[in-house]
Amino acid sequence: MPAWVEILLRSLGILVLVFILMRLGGKKHPVNLTPFHFVVLSVASVLAALTILTAVNFAFGVLAIGVWLLLPLLFDYLALRSKAVHDVMHGKETVLIKQGKIMEENMEKARLTGEELLKALRAKNVFSLADVEFAVLEASGEVNVMLKADKKPVTPHDLEWKVMPQTEPETIILDGNILHDPLTELGLTRGWLHTRLESAGVALDNVFLGQVNSAGELYLDLFDDAIQLPTPSIRELLFANLEKAQAELTTYSLETINPEAKAMYRKNADRLRALAENLRPYLLR
Amino acid sequence: MTVGSQLKQTIAGLHGIQGTFRLYAAQARHDRTRFAFREACKVMDDILIDLEGRMRSLEFTEPQYKGL
Repeated sequence: MPAWVEILLRSLGILVLVFILMRLGGKKHPVNLTPFHFVVLSVASVLAALTILTAVNFAFGVLAIGVWLLLPLLFDYLALRSKAVHDVMHGKETVLIKQGKIMEENMEKARLTGEELLKALRAKNVFSLADVEFAVLEASGEVNVMLKADKKPVTPHDLEWKVMPQTEPETIILDGNILHDPLTELGLTRGWLHTRLESAGVALDNVFLGQVNSAGELYLDLFDDAIQLPTPSIRELLFANLEKAQAELTTYSLETINPEAKAMYRKNADRLRALAENLRPYLLR
Repeated sequence: MTVGSQLKQTIAGLHGIQGTFRLYAAQARHDRTRFAFREACKVMDDILIDLEGRMRSLEFTEPQYKGL
């Protein structure tokens, strides 16, 4: 067999083998590798290169690659089951800042300089050490930061706001085509979509992307960007109508002379006000 | 415009709002949202019963405006 044919066959064989083994390895992205995985992948790639270039016997090469890719799989499985195995294999995370104080010994153990710590903090958008409550060096080398309570971004919870629970938006039109699976998952029909498109005054061919949010509102992006689409504001309108009805009932209660009717109007005006208050998160936010 | 026809308009408006609530309750993908709009529908029912009762007594005392 000529040398080039052998290299070709070996290349194809190793390619298929490595592809299958990597697929078995799960979904970890190479960027987030722990040192252990990095070493495993390096050794496996060197072995693959040597085997392809006929430096070693093909069977021996495949054996070595198999060991280096399959044994880590076994270790990964054990690590899933046992925290001790996981810690031995991947190392533990190191606390760098605790209660706002830098842990110098831990920095030394992790061989991290102050400059590097500051750089990692800046990458997390933290420029002042005074803002940090807690920071940890993950086994993958990433630094994660918890800010002090008064430096955290404000959430609706902090403001004591009630907000509407939201689910992920579903894409139902892509490139002018209706995607049926998400549409049926939402419990909507093509008829509904066509009605909505008609009321927006656009043709399906002109829609590049259409998404339905958890409020059931349809957002469209058109190929023709010159067309101005109305932003959906039905909910705001509904809220305004509720308030209008409440104002009308209050007016009636002031205008009518019949005391019974007066009380009835007032009671229902109050009910409407309470209702509007309850629904505010669902209609306005 | 008489009180009767004004009240009728308000009732019609509230019916519209209730219909939209029903629609939202049906469309809602989150249990809490669905519950909130269902409750709103019930409150609207109570309010409409009161107002429609008042409407009937208005029509009874001023039959010349009936059906307007």
